[in-house]
Amino acid sequence: MRSLRLTGVSASHPRTPVLHDIDLTVAAGTTTAVLGPSGCGKTTLLRVVAGFMRPDAGEVRLGDDVVAGHGTWVPPEKRGFGYVAQEGNLFPHLDISANIAYGLPRRERRDRARACELLELVGLPADLATRRPDQLSGGQQQRVALARALARRPRIVLLDEPFSALDPELRVATREAVAAALRHEQATVVLVTHDQAEALSFADQVAIMHAGRFVQVGTPLEVYRTPADRRSATSLGEACFLAGRLAGSTVTCALGILPAPGAPGSGDCEVMLRPEQLHLGAPEGGGVLAEVTRVEFFGHDALAELRLADGIGTVVRARTTGGTPPVVGQRVSVSVEGAPHVLGSAPAPATAELAPR
Amino acid sequence: MATALLVAALCVLPLVVVVAKALESGAADAFALVWRPRVGELLRNTLSLVAIVGLLSTLIGVGAAWLVERTALPGAAFWRVAFVAPLAVPAFVNSFAWSALIPGFEGLAGAVIVTTLSYFPFVFLPVAALLRTVDPGLEEAARALGHGPWQTALRVGLAQVRPALLGGVLLVSLHLLAEYGALEMLRFPTFTTAILDQFEVAFDSRSGSVLATVLMALAATFLTLELLTRGRTRHVRLGPGAARRAARTPLGRGTPLALLAVSALTALAIGVPAWSIGTWLSRSEQAQEPTNIGPALWWTLALALVAALVTTAATLPAAWLVTRSRSWVAVLLERVTYLAASLPGVVVALALITLTITYARPLYQTAFALVLAYVILFIPRAMIATRAAIATVPPELGDAARALGDGPLRTFARVQAPLMLRGTLAGSALVFIAVSTELTATLLLAPTGTRTLATAFWDASASLDYAAAAPYAAALVVLSAPLTYLLLRGNREELS
Amino acid sequence: MRHRTTLLAAAATAAALGLAACGESSLEATGDLDSGKLTIYSAQHKNLTEAWGQAFQDETGIEVQVRYGNDSSMGAQIVEEGASSPADVFLTENSPAMTTVEQAGLLAPVDAATIEQVGPQYVPSSKHWVGIAARSTVLVYNPSMVAEADLPASLMDLADEKYAGQWGAAAGGADFQAIVSAILAEQGEEATAEWLAALKSNAKVYQNNIATMKAVNAGQSAMGVIYHYYWYRDQALDKVSSGNTALHYFKNEDPGAFVSLSGAGVLESSKRPEDAQKFLAYLTSPAGQEVLRTTDVKEYAVGRGVESDPALPPLDSLEAPKIDPFTLNGPQVIDLMTEAGLL
Repeated sequence: MRSLRLTGVSASHPRTPVLHDIDLTVAAGTTTAVLGPSGCGKTTLLRVVAGFMRPDAGEVRLGDDVVAGHGTWVPPEKRGFGYVAQEGNLFPHLDISANIAYGLPRRERRDRARACELLELVGLPADLATRRPDQLSGGQQQRVALARALARRPRIVLLDEPFSALDPELRVATREAVAAALRHEQATVVLVTHDQAEALSFADQVAIMHAGRFVQVGTPLEVYRTPADRRSATSLGEACFLAGRLAGSTVTCALGILPAPGAPGSGDCEVMLRPEQLHLGAPEGGGVLAEVTRVEFFGHDALAELRLADGIGTVVRARTTGGTPPVVGQRVSVSVEGAPHVLGSAPAPATAELAPR
Repeated sequence: MATALLVAALCVLPLVVVVAKALESGAADAFALVWRPRVGELLRNTLSLVAIVGLLSTLIGVGAAWLVERTALPGAAFWRVAFVAPLAVPAFVNSFAWSALIPGFEGLAGAVIVTTLSYFPFVFLPVAALLRTVDPGLEEAARALGHGPWQTALRVGLAQVRPALLGGVLLVSLHLLAEYGALEMLRFPTFTTAILDQFEVAFDSRSGSVLATVLMALAATFLTLELLTRGRTRHVRLGPGAARRAARTPLGRGTPLALLAVSALTALAIGVPAWSIGTWLSRSEQAQEPTNIGPALWWTLALALVAALVTTAATLPAAWLVTRSRSWVAVLLERVTYLAASLPGVVVALALITLTITYARPLYQTAFALVLAYVILFIPRAMIATRAAIATVPPELGDAARALGDGPLRTFARVQAPLMLRGTLAGSALVFIAVSTELTATLLLAPTGTRTLATAFWDASASLDYAAAAPYAAALVVLSAPLTYLLLRGNREELS
Repeated sequence: MRHRTTLLAAAATAAALGLAACGESSLEATGDLDSGKLTIYSAQHKNLTEAWGQAFQDETGIEVQVRYGNDSSMGAQIVEEGASSPADVFLTENSPAMTTVEQAGLLAPVDAATIEQVGPQYVPSSKHWVGIAARSTVLVYNPSMVAEADLPASLMDLADEKYAGQWGAAAGGADFQAIVSAILAEQGEEATAEWLAALKSNAKVYQNNIATMKAVNAGQSAMGVIYHYYWYRDQALDKVSSGNTALHYFKNEDPGAFVSLSGAGVLESSKRPEDAQKFLAYLTSPAGQEVLRTTDVKEYAVGRGVESDPALPPLDSLEAPKIDPFTLNGPQVIDLMTEAGLL
């Protein structure tokens, strides 16, 4: 169990800078998810940490030891990381037990029991040990890759989108098995992903990356509820943005006068609301009147697109859970639960922007 | 990187020597030697041979590959081997077989028949491998869009096999450019036979160097054309899920016709040489010169084995660089190695003689210089196979091994080397076959007093002493046969 | 990544060099340069050279090793190798290549005793090499295709349009080039160039004399210009390649009656000059000349008092043109043939 600390790390591919001045601390025994769209540099970050790439500047520290920076360079095989990549990358010429035992000292490689133990740890039956990688499903391959990485009892485990190649069912199951195994090993974990649900559910800390920079680093709840900016907000899920005006501890927007505890000063601002904060009621139930213009039904919940009767037809989205979803054309009233998040003073948009789901 | 450059430099060396010699007494003089009717005649001969054989190899190679891989042809596994087997019969042995069977078998027609039958496997092999593994999804999409099976085969199928087809045709063309034995025997003069004539009258003449320079320009043109038309396609298939295999088209009433066609092809490509060599073997009492296979066989084995290993090892760094990096330096490097290989052995040999006489006297007429010539001549063959082998090993596997505590060398030994083994072995097999059948460089560079199966065969067949030549021919074929099988396996592996 | 590539490359190169070293050491055992043997560069036939070498080795205990090639290319090769040529002795089938080496100043004078062993007409005035055998130009023809009466009276007549498409020759070979050098010496440059132009358009070019003879035998060509001994050798064997053919001698000091001289010379740079001179002495000795008959090569002997194979017409009955072999100009012939588009 070691902590990981990056200070001022910059890195580049030939002729293209990728990472700019990255700072990150991952406390020992915790899990940090790096979340960002593809191409933002998150895999590069992981490769720098793992030692597959040299940073141009900055320092990578493992516990108290510098592994990169200040003229120090520790090659990947000496860093003692576990590393699981998107495709698992099992060695096709070795069977499962040989794959798992690959990183062990020569004497321990023949120890079948150890391989079986590790297979169990990742929730796989021990009789897979003699199979070849191409006889396993994608999810099984990923778990074997994790078992292989854990076999050496790594101080830190680096996961590079390990679940993205799996179909949704398998993804959840594999994720849970992996999370359990990692907890069992009390490993320090860095997970790179572009899946917000994965980041939020898996990690103790979420770092949101955009174009080679961290936009925000915080707990899942912090980054979800109080994102630093629009980009940070939309990368974690649906959000509606409304123009508002601060006055004291309240903010006035298209959805009425809402509480804004701890908001800075007064004046024009932008507020963010998550769709689940909007509740629909009968038109006579009080709140802002609106008309349902579109409904997306997901089974466990539904998203309703509403045009507010505020004179300029502001569009917002509300998540409705349980019961019967509203129908298009239905007139409803909209009320807000809790406080909106004030993003600071920004030019007010003409209509609310809807983030892609 | 440095090593890769060293290998490239090695390959460029003969080119530089040849061009320098051609320009020795000024460009105007060299131009006068190029601009004469004889060169026009050679150019016409060479180009028409390349065009006709290239076209026929494409038709036969692609047709055979389609029949074997995509139709319900009975005995597909057998035919697959049968269509690679001609590689075990060197072209000059094949031409010997045909002319020993049919007196007066010569000229363009003879050259076309013999070289097509000898070289079509170069097209068949990669196209078949690709057809076997290519996802049929695209073809199904084309059918869904309203194309008939023939239209689909032409518009989608052909487009998909294009890189393999072009690579194969390129290989056929380069072989034709450098072919000497078969064409000399069939009295069909090309640049290479003319260069050999020049060598015979004047050893290392300027006129020969001028012809070699024109030949090189021709090869460079082919290489560039292939590069331009190939486009940016093909790569390692990663990702979960197995690629689907295509369904085989039933041949229905066409089955007997198809069987007749493949049988005829096999009879011509393998049956004729086998029968001819067999016949002459049984008439060994007619031999005018006694046959002594032992020493020739030993030298052939030793030279081919050493050259195959050295060539493969020397190819690795360059192949690695070319596969892993797509910079123009890498591409240029690869193409340069091809260029040297399109030269006839005699040109490379003469260049090495000039260099060793002038700068490395102790190496003159040693096996070392001969192996060096083989390496220069046959790097591209090893290159093709080694590149494919490297391409099958995703770079990520190396990272995985590094993260599991292996240094670069141990990673190579435990991960890359075992995975590349079969592909590189196939490359070595190609080089082995090429070396054991190499003629002109061997004649010039071999240590005094030594001969190989190929040179012994050539001595006997040049005096049309078929009975004396047959045992050497048979030995050459027997030597190549198992390696051809290795080639087939390596090729199957590298794309699946 | 780059780091790794470099390391890998280094490993592979080390392996390659290691292999090369092993390969070299194992091959060197048998292919060493300075093997302690007398090195002969021979453009003569393999069986004849081997018979001479073996008999010499048996007689003197001096071991020989032979490198085979063709007259012109080997001559040029020795010139290119210069003073550091590995060759001790050079054997040719015709004289022009020997003259080339001599003119480059690379031949040592031949021992006087050796010179004495052959007729004076078979030794150049410089006495830097010595004749060891002789061969005559002949026209082989297929009587079923051309009647004896219709044969050309002179080799030069083959240029006539009426023979177009009916004859062939191994124009690329040294043998034929020696014949052309005789034409050049006898008839001058202009006539030679015309004759070569006719050859280019009228004749079939074959790989060598045997292929030419076989083509005449098989009826693919009516006539062919070759040296006599190919025909006599095949006649003495099974006549498979000459059964349907006959020979026509031009005689009358025609260029087509040219008798070409095979030669032997010792390289000035030889590290074993004494052994080399011994070898020449042996070749021209009655025992050495006898080998021409015992091996059935059917070439003419040139040693004093040595009979040629009785199957051959006597050499002095051939009415060969009296050409000084040292005036035969190899390079000019090659230039003329290049101009004619034959090379």
